Amino acid sequence: MTTAGKKPIRPSVMPADAQTRPEEATLRHVDQLRVLLVEDDEGDAYLVQELLAETGGSVAVSWVRTLAAAEQVLDVDCVLLDLGLPDAAGLDGLRRLLPQVGEGVAILVLTGYADEQQGMRAVAVGAQDYLVKGQVDGPLLVRAIRYAVERRRAEDAERALREERLRAAENTRLERGLLPTPLLTGSDIVFVPRYQPGGRRLLLGGDFYDAVQDAYNAVHVVIGDVSGHGPDEAALGVCLRIAWRTLVLAGRPMSEVLPILQQVLVHERHADHIFATMCALTITPDRRGARIYLAGHPAPLWLESDRVVPLSKVAAGLPLGMFEDAKWEGTQIELGTDWSLLLYTDGLIDVGFGADRLGAHGLVSLMNAQMRAHRQWRESPAVLLDALVEAVTRFGGGVELNDDLAVLLIGLRSSLTPHEDDKSAEART
Amino acid sequence: MELSFQTRTVADRTVLEVGGEIDVYTAPRLRERLVELVGDGVRQIVVDMERVEFLDSTGLGVLVGGLKRVRAQGGHLVLVCSQERILKIFRITGLERVFDIHPSVEEAVAAPVVMPDGTDAGISDDDTHDPSEQPRRGPAGDDGTTTASGH
Repeated sequence: MTTAGKKPIRPSVMPADAQTRPEEATLRHVDQLRVLLVEDDEGDAYLVQELLAETGGSVAVSWVRTLAAAEQVLDVDCVLLDLGLPDAAGLDGLRRLLPQVGEGVAILVLTGYADEQQGMRAVAVGAQDYLVKGQVDGPLLVRAIRYAVERRRAEDAERALREERLRAAENTRLERGLLPTPLLTGSDIVFVPRYQPGGRRLLLGGDFYDAVQDAYNAVHVVIGDVSGHGPDEAALGVCLRIAWRTLVLAGRPMSEVLPILQQVLVHERHADHIFATMCALTITPDRRGARIYLAGHPAPLWLESDRVVPLSKVAAGLPLGMFEDAKWEGTQIELGTDWSLLLYTDGLIDVGFGADRLGAHGLVSLMNAQMRAHRQWRESPAVLLDALVEAVTRFGGGVELNDDLAVLLIGLRSSLTPHEDDKSAEART
Repeated sequence: MELSFQTRTVADRTVLEVGGEIDVYTAPRLRERLVELVGDGVRQIVVDMERVEFLDSTGLGVLVGGLKRVRAQGGHLVLVCSQERILKIFRITGLERVFDIHPSVEEAVAAPVVMPDGTDAGISDDDTHDPSEQPRRGPAGDDGTTTASGH
């Protein structure tokens, strides 16, 4: 086949730092496909180039003879790969090339006349298509290249979508771990939680909460926040919540629980600077008092009929994971016979921009306004929480919050009596 | 989400002036800067936070990390902050007992180099300092926090 005297067209020189601007790239995609022909046989190479030349310049082809040379110039739309190269026999060449080509680069395999089986195997390994040499004309070859490129793009898009779905599934799993079903069945405590992941991509943070009624009828509630956000922090949040629940179910007093949680955090965290804040409270079996423990966390808000008051007398303890010898002492508070409390994470107050953040003070104002706007909040605590989260989101620009947020409303059933139409008020109890 | 740094030397202290927002996105840069300073042999650091507009818990974590790092080298890190909304964050997290917080750079520089628990700097490492050793019971603040540490 080789015609002496006819010089094969040399691969066009591609600048190593070919940084095409997006608009250039788009134009080229529309006008001309860049094809890299990897073929050691000069005659075959000549034929392919002639076939492509016939089609009027819709394809820009460059040619290399070895796989090693091809590996240097993979910035193309499609690779036409011969399966009988001197430095890679059979499917080995394809296997070597596949992990190296970037997204959007299709591979079309060229097989010999008697080797159609190998072409099918190549597709199974990951090539977009195969062509039998000598059985194609120019228009068919160009069409095969275009289809291969389109198929590759569709595959890339599908994979991106699949990854997005997997991430969403993983988020759901983590979220389930962070936001459990409280163990309060049959309790006289009403527990209304809200959680909102943060960020454009609904990133999970490390916010977590839980509530457990123990064998002596004391009710334990926790809300916490692992510093930073992302799946690692979320996993750590799950780990801390499970550890908390286990210790509470095992009957350990909260004064022991926090140091153990700190140990767990220190052992499980993936970097030394990770820490967690936490607010834990234990409500006495008679429901008239509670002991509150703060570990670097904002104090709960006490709900009166039309306003909230921060529980300002609760001792502020250090966050978990900062100082090995930190100790946490609870503060006893009187609850009386008619009470509700709001517990929250930073995500609810670190909202806004620059110096104009909501802050704890701003949260009190927002909450007061919402309570006045929802005078029947005792009957519809879920509506109140939704309105609060909405108001906070609006304060932050209305689009999205940077951080995830968790907020809990808890109270005596006699004080907080959600109607059935208060959607999902007790969905989790 | 801008964060700016300026370093100057006042007496025997290195003053790191931080401006902007210290949050989950910018905090790593502050961590790098503090690691750099300690790596360069700086042992007496004053972090001037007067131009900090926002500090979140991640930023607090970085400051604690810087404090531990310089203490491990026998040095000390103090803060300058007079902004109520920033001070409040230290109160909520119990960290006002961990840090020496001064209202101005002049006062920070004039203060003797002493650890918050009363020992000389350089003797105590970060693990021997118990921030709850000296409970200070105070009246409840109107901001929902208190300086009390029970025992």
